[in-house]
Amino acid sequence: MHLADNGYHGYGPAAGELLFQVEGLSFVYPDGNQALADIAFSIGKGDRLALVGKNGSGKSTLVKLLNGLLPLQKGSIRYRGRETGPSFQPVPRQETGILFQDPENHLFCNTVFENVAFGPMNQGCSRDEVEELVRGCLETVGLEKLMYKPAHLLSYGQKKRAALASILAMKPEVLILDEPTANLDPRQERILQELLAGFPGTLIIIDHDLLFLYDICDRAIVLADGRVHHDFSIRELVSSQDSLKEHGLDFTFRFACCGGRHENTPIVPHHHHHLSHDHGRNGVHVPAVAREPILELQHFSYQYPDGTTGVSDINLAVYPGETLAIVGENGAGKSTIAKCLLGLNQGDGYFYYKGEKMDRRRRQILWRQVGMVFQNTADQLFCPSCREEVAFGPQQMKLPAIEIEKRIEEALHRVQLEGYESRIPLNMSGGERKRLAIAAALSMHPEILLLDEPTASLDPESQELLLEILKKLDMTKIIITHDMYFIRDLSDRTIVMHQGKVIRDYPTPDFLADRHVQAVNGLDYTYKNNCLEKIMDLQHNHLHHGG
Amino acid sequence: MTETLPESTISIHLSGMALILPASLVVLSVAILLAVLFLKKKKTPSKGPSDWSIPTLDKHADRDSFFHNWNPAVKVAALLLYCFLVVSLKTLVCSAAALMISILAVYSSRLPWRRSLQRLAAMSGFLIMFLLVLPFTSREQPGEILLIFPLLPGFPFHLNGFLLALTIVVKACAIALLMEPMLATSSLSATLHGFSRIGIPSPIIQMILLSHRYIFVFHQELLRMLRSMRVRGFTARTDILTMKTMGNFFGMLFINSYDRTQKVYEAMLCRGYRGNFPAFHTLEINGKDLAKGGMWIMIGFILLFIELMPSFPSP
Repeated sequence: MHLADNGYHGYGPAAGELLFQVEGLSFVYPDGNQALADIAFSIGKGDRLALVGKNGSGKSTLVKLLNGLLPLQKGSIRYRGRETGPSFQPVPRQETGILFQDPENHLFCNTVFENVAFGPMNQGCSRDEVEELVRGCLETVGLEKLMYKPAHLLSYGQKKRAALASILAMKPEVLILDEPTANLDPRQERILQELLAGFPGTLIIIDHDLLFLYDICDRAIVLADGRVHHDFSIRELVSSQDSLKEHGLDFTFRFACCGGRHENTPIVPHHHHHLSHDHGRNGVHVPAVAREPILELQHFSYQYPDGTTGVSDINLAVYPGETLAIVGENGAGKSTIAKCLLGLNQGDGYFYYKGEKMDRRRRQILWRQVGMVFQNTADQLFCPSCREEVAFGPQQMKLPAIEIEKRIEEALHRVQLEGYESRIPLNMSGGERKRLAIAAALSMHPEILLLDEPTASLDPESQELLLEILKKLDMTKIIITHDMYFIRDLSDRTIVMHQGKVIRDYPTPDFLADRHVQAVNGLDYTYKNNCLEKIMDLQHNHLHHGG
Repeated sequence: MTETLPESTISIHLSGMALILPASLVVLSVAILLAVLFLKKKKTPSKGPSDWSIPTLDKHADRDSFFHNWNPAVKVAALLLYCFLVVSLKTLVCSAAALMISILAVYSSRLPWRRSLQRLAAMSGFLIMFLLVLPFTSREQPGEILLIFPLLPGFPFHLNGFLLALTIVVKACAIALLMEPMLATSSLSATLHGFSRIGIPSPIIQMILLSHRYIFVFHQELLRMLRSMRVRGFTARTDILTMKTMGNFFGMLFINSYDRTQKVYEAMLCRGYRGNFPAFHTLEINGKDLAKGGMWIMIGFILLFIELMPSFPSP
């Protein structure tokens, strides 16, 4: 349903001064892709606006136009009543700070201090003012102790906050954030949420996570195919499941089970440890269960070359056919343990695959049996077509051409990408690329599939599809994620990591009920669950009482 | 064993024992390489991957020493001029003196020796080639001593060529050792600000600054891509498939880098970039800085002057 087709009712800006008035705005990229078509809306001072829509709906293009990073082609943008564009005054870029998705792009100077000072110095502030601003902003984001640290040595969450500080230091009137929660754990997400809640100016947030947006924003503009389809209050948006579905934003699949209240999940009696601590003659643990693990780490530790501990004294067994979730805060060692399980990180201790000890020489065997899907698909996809991407693994295995063709067809079918053979991976959406990465792993017929943050940066529709695909895959799966809803729907068992150690290893229902562990290691989902409950009530009321 | 040739060169025909000289050169080269490898290995935890991470240039910039307390602009200008003077030296003795001064400079800068040795190791292959090739390829000069090896009668070892190679190697080491005190004793942006003060164009300074920042990101991207290829069974072979794979790999790296460049530029524009990086440092020059600079330039000129003295033996 399009604005022009009616059914549209503008929510509009809050009463007060208008900051942006956009009329008839269109934008076409040089390759002919029409990103925006005849957009019209206004943003008032102090508005808290969620800009939502499927991947490729034109959200990022729109904010770049608002900021003046892209030239105006057709239509007009008025800022504070003044016409902007090439023939008029430029869009005041420094009054509209953008926080892009990847914080690395913001941190182009050497140290945190220099990165934060860059904007105010360009604004002509004196050195004393800059010093004060930098200190203040870094204190706000909790990075004052890392002021002189090189940017590349910060953790991802710290980089995100440093990037935010570098924007805040310019005292922008409008703060635009593109996917601010991507790859953040719940604790970092909560910190960011509190920071944004305290921002006094106008907020425009692009995100797929409506639970994050629900409490920060009061208004939502839904873009689809480059057009404004709805201009709602955020309450109206989340309470209308039909609208959410229409725009691929329906996240209710996340609480399809257990009524969204994980406290209702039944608790199953369990053992906390899969192994007895009796040692055999060779000093290795004696298995306490009859099942032989497919992958096993015993007293396994790994240190990074710079001496940092990656994981320490890990005892972990993965059994055939199970789905294991590995959770923990950013930096807990989840990705490190995944690399250990792949034999990429060779540490101290014992590492077995089907009872055979694995070492540097034998890990090639392992790589044929463990399919890895990395967090960032850009690290994995490098071929010019989907066919070549999926064929890469089987080709390396020196399989006959007929077999390779068969595997390509089969793998693409399993991830619902039939007909994509000649498509260029680079031009595909985030969700499609993620599924292609899974297909590339599946084409090697692995026994185990290891997925690192599979839902990061995906829109709810892509997440739902991914969930459906993963549920159908009948193999051993290891999933590293912060996404509690994926854990609940997919995994049988959950291990919780904290500071490089496994602190819990229990059935998933126990993890979901264990609020203490969730709270101590930054996985506290209570806030999100409360939001879910509120949204469920809103949707219930909307359905039964017509709003 | 020694005979004087009509062309007034002196040829010394060596027995098998006299192979010691070139052999010792080879052994010395291998020993240096092994020492470097040992130093590298000692730092690497057992069974872990080798640490190929790129070190930060200004990691030790916050220490306290003669060089740390020197204004970067004067330091860069004075040491660069001193380096040019060292390059102009022609004798082994003066070059060796310059090398000793550089060693003292590294010592007084309180920087880890490992970094300086790594610099030397990086250029060791090139220098070793000098030592091995130049003695056999330099032009014969009157009065020169030639060593003739038993199995290589057609390739006389020119002692003058060897001395020339040694002088070049010693000068190169002297200058390479000075790079750490010059570049690693102030923050990179301060050092680059120093370079801009001596007239290096701003675009070059900005390119160095951004390259230093993003080389780490690029390096990580490269490692992640290689890792994902390896877990999908990739092994580099000498076949068409490998060449095609590497072509795709480098192509994708290029696209990713280009994409990042665009995004970084947009982020810079959003923060008011108008072609110049702001100066983050106030570099006030005091008398002490100038005195230090003057001292270094004077040392360079003294070395040059000693060589020019008539009583000093010519090379």
